[in-house]
Amino acid sequence: MLKKLWLLSFLLVGLSPMAMAQTFKIATLSPDGSFWVEEMKKGTDAITKRTDGRVKFKLYAGGVMGSDDAVLRKMRIGQLHGGAITTGSVSGAYGDAAVYGMPFKFESFEEVDYVRDRMDKMILDGIEAGGLVPFGLAEGGFAYVMSKEPISSVGNLKKAKVWAPSNDNLSIETLKALGVTPVTLGLGDVLTSLQTGIVDTVATSPVGALALQWHTGVSYITELPVVYFSAQLVISDKAFQKAKPQDQKIIREELTKVFDHIDKKNRIDNVAAMAALKGQGIKVITPTAEELVDWYKIRNIALDVNNKNKMFSPAALKMLDEHLKTYRTQHAMSGQ
Amino acid sequence: MTLRRVFKTAVVALSLSGFAACGGVVSSITGGVSEGLAKGIMNQQDTQLVAEGVPTYLLILDGFLESNPDNADVLLATAKLYSAYGGVFVTDERRSKAMLDKAKSYAMKSACLTDADLCALDTIPFPVFQERLQGLDEDTLPYVYGLATTWTGWIQKNSADWNAIADLAKVKALLAWAQDQDSGYDGGSIMMYRGALETILPPAMGGKPEEGKALFEQAIEASDGKNLMAKVLYAERYARLVFDRSLHDSLLQEVLAADVQADGLTLMNTLAQKQARELLASADDYF
Repeated sequence: MLKKLWLLSFLLVGLSPMAMAQTFKIATLSPDGSFWVEEMKKGTDAITKRTDGRVKFKLYAGGVMGSDDAVLRKMRIGQLHGGAITTGSVSGAYGDAAVYGMPFKFESFEEVDYVRDRMDKMILDGIEAGGLVPFGLAEGGFAYVMSKEPISSVGNLKKAKVWAPSNDNLSIETLKALGVTPVTLGLGDVLTSLQTGIVDTVATSPVGALALQWHTGVSYITELPVVYFSAQLVISDKAFQKAKPQDQKIIREELTKVFDHIDKKNRIDNVAAMAALKGQGIKVITPTAEELVDWYKIRNIALDVNNKNKMFSPAALKMLDEHLKTYRTQHAMSGQ
Repeated sequence: MTLRRVFKTAVVALSLSGFAACGGVVSSITGGVSEGLAKGIMNQQDTQLVAEGVPTYLLILDGFLESNPDNADVLLATAKLYSAYGGVFVTDERRSKAMLDKAKSYAMKSACLTDADLCALDTIPFPVFQERLQGLDEDTLPYVYGLATTWTGWIQKNSADWNAIADLAKVKALLAWAQDQDSGYDGGSIMMYRGALETILPPAMGGKPEEGKALFEQAIEASDGKNLMAKVLYAERYARLVFDRSLHDSLLQEVLAADVQADGLTLMNTLAQKQARELLASADDYF
């Protein structure tokens, strides 16, 4: 009996705070050494320090754990605990997560800021209620049309070989409704397809175009925001709840700080990247007022597609539209 | 996404190749006194000695350029030496950046003096850039290669600047052109540098790591396995990107077990062993 007690006490000694350390395995497509990964490392190191080593992180960068969907699947079976993934990817947890991504919804970053101040919390709460703990949205920016030939009008677009992301049903169906048959490809195949002429028109952010080197395959950029997109780090609620409450608080504080920084830095980077694109000789196309009317008609086409396919809820879309209406009314009145 | 530190080791390797170009030029300036200088530097195991000795030659070369500002060969040699010294041995960021700015400016001018099609390559659109490459004469290889290596060092130093990231495609194209002319040039190091540039992005983002792998293996083969930096880059860039720890560790253990002494590679191999130790030490955190 004494021997058993001794053994038990020996085992309990082993359960020191260090021995009970919880390691969150997190994956992202961003390469090791990239800004996102470096910032996440800083945040997770701070968490490990503040929790005296009770909470650790292992980051799998560069897509070694697969696409966003693969990361979510691995999170469901406990192979991974979290991922830095696009907001569209978490629509399984919360259907309205990527409502900001309705085509041609925003006309400026000022509109984005106004709406996000009022709707981010609802989106983040929705994602968390769906079983994924988020730590703030990080702006990806506006995607703009970039092309080999100038695209000023919807008519120009209809003649182009347009890329659409293979997992983006809203864009694919909206383009089809517009009379454009998109070439659907994964992100990794776009550069080669631009080089070989399989596609000649893409939509991405200035940062995306430079980081993925797509700028080498296009000559024009149409200065009209097409969609707004974002990303975030999520940890499965099941894994998160295993951390002590005081550690959960520290994790939230540090990772929210990280993603707030990334959110702001991405805005600055996109502005600088747009200037760099122009510096590389890429010509800016500005649609005329008449052409803009046509472009904005796509809003209604996208809305029909959304309603038919039951993507975003009417309530979320209504809220988004009302905030935009208020913002535009206020700024029309103030003459801005 | 800022590609900070993504290809730091590659730049160390690229920069060091700069020393090899200097001996002949310095020799011609100093009347043969410095015969074998480049070889002496590249065969040096004492990195501190190199760090302390090179500034003297930078001053000599800059002095020569004062009275011969349009000498393409001296411009190129000076560019390479500034790139090597500023990129590898100068720890003060401000000084290092200034040296790499100067290196790029000299290399650009040198290339432009050699062939008008090599002028203003950093400001022309990529399709125009590609057209110009098509028409280049094979004789321009040393200048194109020198520009590509110096420019890559400058991009690394300025990787927080999106204008620099935009230039990556151009240096990749320059190195591919150089390999097409003579894949054995500079001991086959072109393949090593291309390998490093082809392994920046993961496949999901359009990267081609398998192409990078093939290039690293060609570079190692071209040196009969003596280029240890090629093995370090193979481990750091490819094995880490595809998450192959077994390959990563075995390559680095080979580097540590190897003799650094190899004609023209000793200095680079010495630094490669240092880098190998650091990569092995951080492997548990990465994998």
